[in-house]
Amino acid sequence: MAQLKINSRSYFVDAAPDTPLLWVLREDLRLTGTKFGCGRGHCGCCTVHINGEAMRSCQLRVGDVEGTLITTIEGLDSGTDHPIQKAWIEQQVSQCGYCQSGQIMQAASLLAEIPDPTEDDIIKHMKFNLCRCMTYYRIIRAIKSAAENIRKAKS
Amino acid sequence: MNQDIANKLKEVSRRSFLISSAMGSTALVLCVKDGMAAGKQVVNLLDDGSPLMIPPNFDPSIWFTMESNGATTIHVVKAEMGQHIGTCFAQIVAEELELDWKLIRIDYPEMNADAQDKYGLQITGGSFSTYEMFDRLARSSAVARGLLIEVGAEILGSSVEDCIARKGRIIDTVLDVEISYSEILSETAIAHTVEEEDLAQVVLKEREKYEIIGKSLASLDSPEKVNGSARFGIDAYVPNMIYGKIIGPPVRMWATVKSIDDSKAKNIDGYINTIKINLPKQMGYMVESVAVVVAESFPAAMRAAQIVNVEWSTPDSPKVNSQDMVEHAKKLQKDAAAGVNFVLKGNIAAAEKQSSEYISSEYYTEMVTHAPLEPASAVAQQVDGDWHIYAGLQAGNVMRYFVSALAGVAPENVIFHPHHIGGGFGAKVEIEAPVIAVLTAKQLGKPVKIIFTREDDMYMSHPRTPTFQKLTGYLDQNGDVTGIAHDIVAGWVGARFGEAFLIEAADKKGKLDPWANTGADHWYDVNAQKVRAINNDLVQNSFPVGAVRSISNNYTVFAIENFIDELAHKKKIDPLNFRFSLLTAKGENAGAAPDETAHYTVPAFTGMPNSSWTKWKFRPIYHKSANVGGAKRLANVLHIAAGLAGYGSKYFGPNTAHGIALSAAEEREMPTFCACVVEVSVNRKTGKPSVKEIIIAMDVGLAVNPDGIKAQIEGSVLWGLSNALFEKMTAVNGQLEPTNFDKYKWQTIEDLPKLRIEVVENGLYPSGVGEPATSVVSPAITNAIYNAVGVRIRKLPISQNEILKGL
Repeated sequence: MAQLKINSRSYFVDAAPDTPLLWVLREDLRLTGTKFGCGRGHCGCCTVHINGEAMRSCQLRVGDVEGTLITTIEGLDSGTDHPIQKAWIEQQVSQCGYCQSGQIMQAASLLAEIPDPTEDDIIKHMKFNLCRCMTYYRIIRAIKSAAENIRKAKS
Repeated sequence: MNQDIANKLKEVSRRSFLISSAMGSTALVLCVKDGMAAGKQVVNLLDDGSPLMIPPNFDPSIWFTMESNGATTIHVVKAEMGQHIGTCFAQIVAEELELDWKLIRIDYPEMNADAQDKYGLQITGGSFSTYEMFDRLARSSAVARGLLIEVGAEILGSSVEDCIARKGRIIDTVLDVEISYSEILSETAIAHTVEEEDLAQVVLKEREKYEIIGKSLASLDSPEKVNGSARFGIDAYVPNMIYGKIIGPPVRMWATVKSIDDSKAKNIDGYINTIKINLPKQMGYMVESVAVVVAESFPAAMRAAQIVNVEWSTPDSPKVNSQDMVEHAKKLQKDAAAGVNFVLKGNIAAAEKQSSEYISSEYYTEMVTHAPLEPASAVAQQVDGDWHIYAGLQAGNVMRYFVSALAGVAPENVIFHPHHIGGGFGAKVEIEAPVIAVLTAKQLGKPVKIIFTREDDMYMSHPRTPTFQKLTGYLDQNGDVTGIAHDIVAGWVGARFGEAFLIEAADKKGKLDPWANTGADHWYDVNAQKVRAINNDLVQNSFPVGAVRSISNNYTVFAIENFIDELAHKKKIDPLNFRFSLLTAKGENAGAAPDETAHYTVPAFTGMPNSSWTKWKFRPIYHKSANVGGAKRLANVLHIAAGLAGYGSKYFGPNTAHGIALSAAEEREMPTFCACVVEVSVNRKTGKPSVKEIIIAMDVGLAVNPDGIKAQIEGSVLWGLSNALFEKMTAVNGQLEPTNFDKYKWQTIEDLPKLRIEVVENGLYPSGVGEPATSVVSPAITNAIYNAVGVRIRKLPISQNEILKGL
């Protein structure tokens, strides 16, 4: 049993405390935007935010995240209007799209931390998020463009 | 709507009328909709006799449906796996049908017997979706445009000649009145379907007048792919489903589950059962049986799988390792009687006899696997005797036939619901997951969701075959290359699916697998050319090799493009100039002239396990030749890429050089002419090659969505780079390793080379773009390494140690 706060809503799930958060999100709560890729934390498809920090949900026990604020791709922005999402569309990043929820959650946490990342910052922060369609050039471009748009909006 | 038009519509409504169609012999029936006003009906749901009028749509063609609100839905009959094929198809339809882009939707029709009758086999692969569909969609849309003009003109009281279609409206250019598609379809129901004769006679837009084709429009599925709402196969759900996790065999092929001991698992909360699923040998699965651990949740199934003990009986044959397959290939190649000829041009024996010298080189490539980030998965559910399968597959209709045969139902009783594919690359033509899901659901009498873990997906994968190739070039006393002999020893992916996938050899002495040898039939003019195709039976009997992005081009192009450079160096000619001297477009290498008559050019998938398979209807294409221009177009992209790279003029520091390579994948009928120049720098201390820049010039014939094409090229270039530098699947005691991404390494966001892409449109008809750039990258790199430090690498992936040894 676990009580979870996901995307500002509270859930009660009937799952053993050692169940990976990923499977609770996907199969119990049908928040399927978070993806299963490797189950070992190597690929980043399952990245969600725990108290604002990008983490691999396949490596998190549901019992350990009770009481935290969990954000999934579905909760990043109610209208697909997060600057990262807009930049992703503007740069046409997605190919198959499977890894992109994880990429976007990872990128969002980068911009929260470093609003003006250099290319090296981006690579360092994103290098454990794999993309088999290899959309990497556009991921870099989209993050830069999102950062710029955020700066413009602020000034 | 203005009053004028409203009055005319009333006039029209007084008579129910028939206009004879200018498009063909079929009559165009137009009737006025009656009593359709929404909200005026009161329906008693408990009374079957209570009237309900469903507003009709305009379905002039099987490829799209128009609604009375002006929206058009394009029915995408190919799988979406990152190529945004629906957007491409929509652009073709919108162009010829003059649609307002904002009112376009796409859907993916379910695959059932009717759909197969209508749409064909719906296989997605070989980069042939646009090639296969462009003409059909364009012609159907143009016919529908004609129908709307006719009806619009009738309503407006105009003459058809004065009317044009423009962005969802019919406009009378003389009287200056207009009516929207929505207004037309709200008031009238048009009963007319596009006939073959309409297609033959329709006049298509001139290419110069395209406004939507050729535009880099944002893909229609972008929003759903950034907010988590896109539905992939693994996201499928049906009520009351249970979950299955497989326990796979200790060797990849022909192991059988002997016994299952699940006594320890019984205490696990949610555990249900572990069952044995048989997969018949003859159907190309290349597994004899698997155990499936079934539970109420997937985590419970995974927990149980760790403590369920499965005993296997394995084949008596020795357990194969990677090196065994290489040794076996070398032995086969030495046997002059082995194999049959894939290409036989000129007299190679005479070229050999008359040669004053020759050079010979051997090339090796290791196995590479697809590793899509979405592992195999499927949901199977039986309702009223019908099997419903929910998954992301590249060949849903093929799966229907396998399931039909195994579940003991007619193919009509198997229905596939397509989902997005989380990475295809050829992996999702394989159908173990849906088959296991059906057989498990059948045994347990409940809907079942099968999910392969990453490990399951890797050892159950269908890697590209390991290969050994030998090339020999004969030179006459003038130093001219008079003949090239090419031996290819490989596992044959087509042979796995059955005899029907093989074609007759060029020497008519047997059959061979074109998929395993394509690319060796290159566009260089050489007097004598012989390509000998040899099936590596040890590979064939040990691993179910599969179609991995660009299939055989990956290894044939690697060998040929290295060898062309080796010949050039032998002749002391610059490899660029040497290539130009061979790209003279003689005979077949000139490509085919355009053909305006209806003909059938869809890759032939025949001979599947069920007789009804033949129900597939070939649909004619009228297209212009995709390979017209032939080798000259290949020379042209080489000029462009070399020019952009500054080939021959750019200043380099030490140990740095350009390398070039060409490809014309996927095949000769549908080549995408591609030239690649890479800049590589080699570290003399470590042997590490650094790829600094990649330049690609690609002639796609006709570009429907240039930015989408660029995206495909970016991905396939990095895929090629990844294959060149990192990827290696190995055979260890009969099973595939590694099984997760800590050890199966591939290109990440680190160390990306600079990339410049030039999309060229020098053809008459579009060819494919999803794969062709994958195969040029590795030979361009090895050629550059040679040019930089004088070490010839003839093996993939490129080994830093081997470079170091060479230094």
